[in-house]
Amino acid sequence: MGKEKKEKKKKAPQRANFALRTILCIVQHLCLGIMVLSMIVVVCSSTIRVQGFKGNYRFSIYAQDKNRAYEESDIFNSIFGYAAADIIRCGVVSSQLETDGEFDGGRVIDVTAYNYRDIGLPEQYVTADYRLEDLLKWANYGFEWSSSEMTREQAKNFLADKTRLTLMDSKSKYYNTSDASYLKSDIDSYTYVNDVSANRLWVETDEYDGFVDEYQSQYGAVNTTGIIVSDSDSRYEVQEVESGTGSYNIMVNRYKTIEGKNLEEYVSDWDIYYDLCHNVQNAAKSLSYNYSEYLNYKEYYGRNNSNVRYLIMKTVGDKTQIYSNLDDGQETENIIEYMGLAGDADDELLRNVGKYVYYSPADMIYQTNTTIAEATIRKILQDYDYAYPETVKIWMSVDTAYPVSDAFKQGATGYENYLPYFGQCIVAAIAACVLYLILLFYLTAVTGQDVDTEGNPYIRLQSFDRVPTEAALLIVGGVAVLAVWVMIVAAELTDIDPTDMVEMAVRLHEEQWLTGIIAAGVFAVDAVAMFFFYSLVRRIKARTLWKNSYLRRLMHKIKQFAWRVYDNGHIMVRTWVPYGIFLVFNFLMLILAFSGRGFSRGIALLIAVILDMFIGNLLYRNAKEQQEIVKGIETIAGGQLEHQVRTDNLHGDNLTLAHSVNSIGNGIKEAVEISMKDERMKADLITNVSHDIKTPLTSIINYVDLIKREQVDNEKVQNYIRVLDEKSQRLKQLTDDLVEASKITSGNISLHFEKINLTELMNQTIGEFSEKFEEKNLTTIMNVNVSNAVIEADSRRIWRVIENLFNNIFKYAMEGTRVYLTISGIPLDKEHIEVSIKNISATPLNCNPEELTERFIRGDESRTTEGSGLGLSIAKNLTEAQRGTFEIQLDGDLFKVILTFPLAEM
Amino acid sequence: MANILVCDDDKEIVDAIEIYLLQEGYTIFKAYDGEQAIKILKEQQIHLLLIDIMMPKLDGIHATLKIREYSSIPIIILSAKSEDNDKILGLNIGADDYVTKPFNPLELVARVKSNLRRYTTLGNLNTDNNALFQVGGLCINDDTKEVMVDGENVKLTPIEYNILLLLVKNCGRVFSIDQIYESIWNEEAIGADNTVAVHIRHIREKIEINPKEPRYLKVVWGVGYKIEKQ
Repeated sequence: MGKEKKEKKKKAPQRANFALRTILCIVQHLCLGIMVLSMIVVVCSSTIRVQGFKGNYRFSIYAQDKNRAYEESDIFNSIFGYAAADIIRCGVVSSQLETDGEFDGGRVIDVTAYNYRDIGLPEQYVTADYRLEDLLKWANYGFEWSSSEMTREQAKNFLADKTRLTLMDSKSKYYNTSDASYLKSDIDSYTYVNDVSANRLWVETDEYDGFVDEYQSQYGAVNTTGIIVSDSDSRYEVQEVESGTGSYNIMVNRYKTIEGKNLEEYVSDWDIYYDLCHNVQNAAKSLSYNYSEYLNYKEYYGRNNSNVRYLIMKTVGDKTQIYSNLDDGQETENIIEYMGLAGDADDELLRNVGKYVYYSPADMIYQTNTTIAEATIRKILQDYDYAYPETVKIWMSVDTAYPVSDAFKQGATGYENYLPYFGQCIVAAIAACVLYLILLFYLTAVTGQDVDTEGNPYIRLQSFDRVPTEAALLIVGGVAVLAVWVMIVAAELTDIDPTDMVEMAVRLHEEQWLTGIIAAGVFAVDAVAMFFFYSLVRRIKARTLWKNSYLRRLMHKIKQFAWRVYDNGHIMVRTWVPYGIFLVFNFLMLILAFSGRGFSRGIALLIAVILDMFIGNLLYRNAKEQQEIVKGIETIAGGQLEHQVRTDNLHGDNLTLAHSVNSIGNGIKEAVEISMKDERMKADLITNVSHDIKTPLTSIINYVDLIKREQVDNEKVQNYIRVLDEKSQRLKQLTDDLVEASKITSGNISLHFEKINLTELMNQTIGEFSEKFEEKNLTTIMNVNVSNAVIEADSRRIWRVIENLFNNIFKYAMEGTRVYLTISGIPLDKEHIEVSIKNISATPLNCNPEELTERFIRGDESRTTEGSGLGLSIAKNLTEAQRGTFEIQLDGDLFKVILTFPLAEM
Repeated sequence: MANILVCDDDKEIVDAIEIYLLQEGYTIFKAYDGEQAIKILKEQQIHLLLIDIMMPKLDGIHATLKIREYSSIPIIILSAKSEDNDKILGLNIGADDYVTKPFNPLELVARVKSNLRRYTTLGNLNTDNNALFQVGGLCINDDTKEVMVDGENVKLTPIEYNILLLLVKNCGRVFSIDQIYESIWNEEAIGADNTVAVHIRHIREKIEINPKEPRYLKVVWGVGYKIEKQ
């Protein structure tokens, strides 16, 4: 039960994980969508577009505006500034066209004075006065010129006899000021001067000279600085004709002056005539332009179309003009009274006027409840200083209730609709961005991670992740192209130029649904892009990016093919073909390198170097493989039969060689194992057999002994019993030796090495055998030629060796002879010690020394004497087991055993 | 005299042993497998057990283990298994002695006697005497210059006695021939000599039941001689 629960617990979060990841993924895309949406809102809404008089103005809202009221914001100030400029301009235009606040078509316009309104009038000038109506109509209709042939005389007569010159009273307030002097209809005085020549202007009075110069120079200035564009076509040269007649251009007098005269009646000189015509033309065109502007201003800043209220009071001399859109009643009175107070403002008067600006340059008064600076207004006024004397007083206010939907209202709406959400939008954008990044990192980290049923983590690939890398890349590319195409089409359809961010922002601002579409688009693009991205991440994690690519498969195939050709090829193919290719290729590359130039030369050399390095690497690898094999062979030869040469990275001959070496090693190993097993089985068999022999042998020995104890008188029987006793004892010895010999040869003994002093051992042995040797009258003579005869051996086993050898001597040595024991070092070998035992054999030795150590071989072929025949064999095997050597030398009757042992490390 | 139980699946061997032991005056009980042996042990007052290892029904090793649960009588294992490992196993599970087949009947009798003496008469030895040295069944009284093996007096020459005393006094320590020579003869040992080895051999023949497999005076080949600690 508990186990089930555990498994359930383990499985449950795993399933939830995937649902969660999917949700997180969607949240991630949503975040980006929200971020983009918020950013669009921030960018677009921070731009407010308002409809001004001269077009649309665009304003940006900044975060620092948040704590300010709309009326204190830069936007309000800017709109107010534009409005102020408009109104001042409107005042200028009105002053030209109005009388007492109403348009006055019957106004008299002094055309030259009008043209000179912004640079001031000279003391004397030539002019004509027209009705405003006539000039406006004339400008609308257009000016006509006619050409007529006249003789010099006719031409002189065509013009008046005298030029009418308007003189300015030097004491007049209009003289040489930038005042609106063209407004005056009353002409101070006229002077008529005679024109002597048609070509040359001359005057009777001395004063006139100065005027001409000044006039000429100022004429040019009008063209450049005036609002009215100058028309140089209106200057005509009089053409001299040989017959005495000339062709003269004459302006058609569509309207007459207020005196009912034509223009030519005011001048006596053609140049002045043309100048006057020009003045009329310019004044008419300028007035016409201003008239249309005037109408627009009246409309735009009309009381019903604007929240702006204004009053401009202009006093020139004793004349006071008021231009205003205030109603004629209390409002105007209040403001005029306010102006009259000259700064000692009465709050009562300014009630309900909203935001206002009052500027009176003459009184040095600037009053406002806005944040607009005095300099702003003054700068606007400076452009129209010809129209506004110092005595002007300007009042401007904005009804902050915004009853009319104008620029101020638009600004207010944008400002108030947007600003409260500015912070939220930025926070939302940042939060979405942060969340997006967190999710991106988190999902990148966990994507594909999964646990299999045993709880082992692995990377779970989705079906798309198994698509080969190149195919996936193609799909990604296709999708990207498709997405770009969709975007282009969408841009075309919605008519948005993606490069014009400002225009786009405006569009987005106005058409809110576009924002939604863009956010949705971003969501979609992100979803697709992230799908590919996470797939890439999973591929990298699962290490299938390279593994699952066509390129790798192709390379693998090529590699396999190359190796197959190489492995199956003849030795000629394997050696000469690659070498030939190598040579030819290098040769070609060298030719290319020396015949080509520049870049191709470098490329050829580079390819050649790369190829040579590749070949070098191949040779190195081949040598390395061979070295591996050699090492393997040495290891096997050194006795580690189970060693196997690794064949995974080998090819061709090396592979064959390695396989052969391995199989040889295996063969040897198997043979050794079988042999060892056989030996062990043999030893076991012998042990078991000997055990089975011993039991009956025990009875035989016991009962023979019992018979011996019985008093047997019969000598023969006594002899038989003696034989039985001897043979049974020998049988016992034989079984023991047999078991021991088989155990030693099968390696079935364990040795306990310790330090053994050979001299001590020899003495002990001699002691043990002293009585036996005395019995046979054998004398032992021991020589020790080394100071330290300590070896490492198993104490009991080495005793067995020496005991067997002594037994041998005891059995086979000739009686009465001497036995020599020598312990000595070996020349040129300081690591070994030699023990030799010599005795004289009782019988001739008719056999090889080697045979003596074979089992069951004894010196006497007849095998009549006691002994198992195993003594020397056991001694030899035990010596070798203790890292010693055992050698028997026969020299006539001399029987010599030489043992060597490694000296113990001191 | 003592009651001895002989247990072997080979009837002839049991009979032969019976003959030898009867001559020494012991009472013999016979069993042919482990179960019989245990049964007889429960029914009779037995003083020593001779038991074979390889027997039907219950083998000697398991029988010994069972007997050791309630009895401390001397047990001598009598087996054809002559490997070192077999001997070590037998002695470790509680046997007092291990005799390999084929055995010398005299040796077997000697071992039986020895074990019985140890079991019946020894144990109340006076150890207060400073001149008394004892290793297992070997006891030397330096006052009387007497050597006792399993309660039997052994006659040694003075040199043999001195060598044995040296070894017994330093029980467990290995003495080389030179060291023994210098201790006993109080002379510097010059050159190799087998005198000591011959003496040692004589001592072994006197105090050991089987000199080739000594219980007390052991030869450490190539190193020297020692008395094994019991």
